[in-house]
Amino acid sequence: METVIKTRTIKDKLIFEFENSKLFLFGSTQLRDNAMESFYKQGIPTRKHEEYKYTRVDLMLKGEFDFSTNKNCSDAQIQPLKFLKDAYVVVIENGVFVEGSSNVENLPKGLTVCSLVDAEKSNSPVFEKHYAQYADVKTDPFIALNTAMTKDGAFIHIAKNVIIEKPIHIIHISTTSVNTIIHPRNLIVIDENAQAKIIESFETISATAKTVSNALTEIVVDKNAIVDHYKIQDEKELGYLVNTTQVIQQRQSVFSTHTFTLSGSLVRNNLTVVLDDEHIESHLNGLYLTVGNQVVDNHTVVDHRKPNCNSNELYKGIIEGKSTATFNGKIFVRKDAQKTNAFQSNKNILLSLAGTINTKPQLEIYADDVKCSHGSTTGKLDEAKIFYLRARGIGLVNAKKLLMHAFASEVVNTIKIEALREYVEEKISKTFE
Amino acid sequence: MNEVIEEKISAEYKYGFVTDIDADNAPKGLNEDIIRFISAKKNEPEWMLVYRLEAFRHWLTMEEPDWAHVSYQKPDFQEIIYYSAPKPKKVLKSLDEVDPELLKTFQKLGISILEQERLSGVESRVAIDVIVDSVSVKTTFKETLAEKGIIFCSFGEAIQEHPELVQKYMSSVVPSSDNFFAALNSAVFTDGSFCYIPKGVRCPMELSTYFRIEAAGTGQFERTLIIAEEGSQVSYLEGCTAPMRDENQLHAAVVELVAHKNAQIKYSTVQNWYPGDKEGKGGVFNFVTKRGICLEENAKISWTQVETGSAITWKYPSVILKGDNSIGEFYSVAVTNNYQQADTGTKMIHIGKNTKSTIISKGISAGFSNNSYRGLVRIAKGAENARNFSQCDSLLMGDQCGAHTFPYIEIKNNTAVVEHEATTSKIGEDQLFYCKQRGIDNEKAIGLIVNGYCKDVLSQLPMEFAVEAQKLLEVSLEGSVG
Amino acid sequence: MLSIKNLHASIDGKEILKGINLEIKEGEVHAIMGPNGSGKSTLAAVLAGRSEYDVTEGEIIYNGKNLLELEAEDRAREGVFLAFQYPVEIPGVSNINFLKTAIGEIRAYKGLEPIKAKDFLMMLKEKQELVEIDRALVRRSINEGFSGGEKKRNEIFQMAMLEPKLSILDETDSGLDIDALRIVANGVNKLKSEENATIIITHYQRLLDYIIPDFVHILHNGKIVKSGLKELALELEEKGYDFIKEEVEA
Repeated sequence: METVIKTRTIKDKLIFEFENSKLFLFGSTQLRDNAMESFYKQGIPTRKHEEYKYTRVDLMLKGEFDFSTNKNCSDAQIQPLKFLKDAYVVVIENGVFVEGSSNVENLPKGLTVCSLVDAEKSNSPVFEKHYAQYADVKTDPFIALNTAMTKDGAFIHIAKNVIIEKPIHIIHISTTSVNTIIHPRNLIVIDENAQAKIIESFETISATAKTVSNALTEIVVDKNAIVDHYKIQDEKELGYLVNTTQVIQQRQSVFSTHTFTLSGSLVRNNLTVVLDDEHIESHLNGLYLTVGNQVVDNHTVVDHRKPNCNSNELYKGIIEGKSTATFNGKIFVRKDAQKTNAFQSNKNILLSLAGTINTKPQLEIYADDVKCSHGSTTGKLDEAKIFYLRARGIGLVNAKKLLMHAFASEVVNTIKIEALREYVEEKISKTFE
Repeated sequence: MNEVIEEKISAEYKYGFVTDIDADNAPKGLNEDIIRFISAKKNEPEWMLVYRLEAFRHWLTMEEPDWAHVSYQKPDFQEIIYYSAPKPKKVLKSLDEVDPELLKTFQKLGISILEQERLSGVESRVAIDVIVDSVSVKTTFKETLAEKGIIFCSFGEAIQEHPELVQKYMSSVVPSSDNFFAALNSAVFTDGSFCYIPKGVRCPMELSTYFRIEAAGTGQFERTLIIAEEGSQVSYLEGCTAPMRDENQLHAAVVELVAHKNAQIKYSTVQNWYPGDKEGKGGVFNFVTKRGICLEENAKISWTQVETGSAITWKYPSVILKGDNSIGEFYSVAVTNNYQQADTGTKMIHIGKNTKSTIISKGISAGFSNNSYRGLVRIAKGAENARNFSQCDSLLMGDQCGAHTFPYIEIKNNTAVVEHEATTSKIGEDQLFYCKQRGIDNEKAIGLIVNGYCKDVLSQLPMEFAVEAQKLLEVSLEGSVG
Repeated sequence: MLSIKNLHASIDGKEILKGINLEIKEGEVHAIMGPNGSGKSTLAAVLAGRSEYDVTEGEIIYNGKNLLELEAEDRAREGVFLAFQYPVEIPGVSNINFLKTAIGEIRAYKGLEPIKAKDFLMMLKEKQELVEIDRALVRRSINEGFSGGEKKRNEIFQMAMLEPKLSILDETDSGLDIDALRIVANGVNKLKSEENATIIITHYQRLLDYIIPDFVHILHNGKIVKSGLKELALELEEKGYDFIKEEVEA
């Protein structure tokens, strides 16, 4: 009998790295060991996994990877990424909080912004109560991997009754020169009756190698709190991003999240919002613009667990070239969640014959007195409208741009921070060039 | 092939068929003799009898469908009288002889069948064909229409006067073997309306048929055929009522619409058959096959229906979009209260290129009723750039009723744009209290809510019907909440 | 204007209000604060005439009339307005049509001529500007697809249109971000006059930074346990509701 010598798989390598670097990892040993065990059981998903069948994350993880993380870029390089002039800024470079580049001095009363490492060191009771309580390692291998292997990230806490009017901007930067896998992790806790605006942006600077970011953010929205959350994903060709956002909402809270995917070779968003009490309101908005061979996959879960809540979801995409966009929107209305209002809409424009759109609304409704609707459309740019614009003297290229802008504006207009809206608008214009 | 069948049937005809030509009613039950009786009674040509017998023989091989979301005691088809002409004294020579109750109903509908009155009035005119228990009793405005070359008459008359048109188009959209009830109708239908709009003519008035079931134990099986030639336009209204009876009455109609190049047909129905009493006793079983075909390019067929009556409704007005750029529309309000059951919707079959369809369905369920939307959107392989928009809304009043939505979407061409939206909402104590807190009492509030909810559909109805339909909705929901 | 004496009310046999006494005069703003379950929303519901609640004892005199004898719609017609904590959605009925109907009914009740279409539209425009509500919202179906904040703003718009004598704002601040809260408070302040009165029901103190109350009452376990001036609200926010519980139970 012939013996087959298998090359080590990425899974083996990750486990090996985990065992080797235990000392540098973050979080309690028990939590990490448990997470790693869960990852071991789940493995890297292939197209046979229902949840990953349109997005080949296994191919993304082919090849050699380095697991060390270094600081490579200067403050001057980071400066342009701080596109909000008036904001508290947190810089996470290759998965590690960089205090020197962040602007977190003179914080107002009631606002805490620091690294996860510091939050743990200082024995913050808020940190201890909420860390790794919501993203369940058993539900997804990337959650498991992040929980096992994260080294750092941001910790943000807003105390009861406090309103932070200035936005808080978390900048994730990849700057590596060798293929790397990183696992940044953030914990954001907004206490009762507090209000905040949080932006997470994902960028690459001077990177010359592939970076796989397995980023995870947990957000706790307590009673009556109001939170506006934004994700701007713009990692260019070398960026591969799996971005998990796990949100838990308490009674009468309002949470709005907005995901803008502007570039990146592969972007997979796993967004889960749990409505864990009554009279909660959740808004999930998304816009993805895909070109070339890009793959963008938005998986959202809205979990209505209690009665009298509202959720509203709007995802729009413009697909060009040979790119692939996937939208998978799951809405659970649990047995107790009577009088739920849940709306979902996914609209796509397909600009090329080679582009692919997979759209899959999934409603699982176990209560009987609910109002749910979902709609999904895929189409080309309306020829009649293009013709109308041309008949008014607007050239074909500009006519198309105008219509694409109009299409995108429904999502862009949900941005409440003016400077951010302008920034995103400009980015979109560049994409349409 | 046809000749062989014809021969066989005519051969049989020679044996044992005795017609009591003087009888007003056929005896109860259904067999080939009854069909011969009906055909003879109506003095039909041989090809009609052949057609009927063929349909009947096919019907015998079929089973009553049970896929619809309705439950009922299946009718005993041998207990039904298939032909009932109105009593001799009711054969009307002039409108003065019309049953005053009937006239009253018309007044209620806001429609006058008295030509003179209409002519002197400023309101838009409506030509009406009145059908009582399967027999056409009066068609108004025939002459005015004839001047434009429009044929509007009873189906029976069309068979006699325009056999070439009937032969060409009858069953060209709904084959007599299409389904159980369509086959039954093809075998036993006694009358109905026929309408032909010649090339380039815009029908100057609304055409209308008013159906009424009068006699007890009778089935009503009418047939409507509308043909719109190239570039023509017609708007057609259909109204239905029946008196209260304890037993269920069967109504199984077939409607066929044919729209040629650039032609437009708008077909509106206000159906108010007797729905049965509060305990669910009696009421009409309404099993209807309605289908139109946009035969050539740029044709348009639009169905609008307001369904408040019948114990059971089983009805899917459909459009086959065969011609390129053709358009199909379906606007529906279906109200069920007490123990009524409705399973209704549409089919939009996209075959031609650039074909468009719109479906707006509004279901209202109250009491213990069940209301289902069942709709099919099919985009065939060659239907480049087809578009469909569907919106199916359900409104529940109280918590003993049910609303169900069964959309079927079949897409064989990837240039299609298909949009589907569905909502279910509930009117209960909370909404009514909110209105009260703003000074609006229950009765007013329900009127506001129902009319607001249905306005997208009601606005599609011709003016004559819109007001009546609105009242009808309020009446059928009286006392359903609070 | 409003006199509540020894009001007891219960739902499904469970007593929620256990003897409320409250006097409100024209021109006054009263804030009622209390922890969850203290009976704040029950008081609002009883004043507006929700039938699920049984008034077992006590009386409410409103402008000389026994309020408890009036139907809910007649209370509204008499000028009692409730801005709902959770405004319901009514699909298909536009705000405009709804308000036209409501104003029509209220005027008919008072024996007034129906409002002229032109006057109604003028009023609509004027009040829209007054409470800074988006025109598009006004034209849409009542609260359908509105965000929580938009619903609350629509309540204040309706209040402006119906010109009530006694307005009850039931947790109007919940779900409003700080910008929307300022706009809503601004609207309410503009609608204040010497002739009307306002009851503000709230769990948090924040709204009272913007709508300054003349009196603050603390509701606990179905009773007003403490009344004072606006400073009471600040004290409450600082010390939390537990301090009241301790004080009462001590």
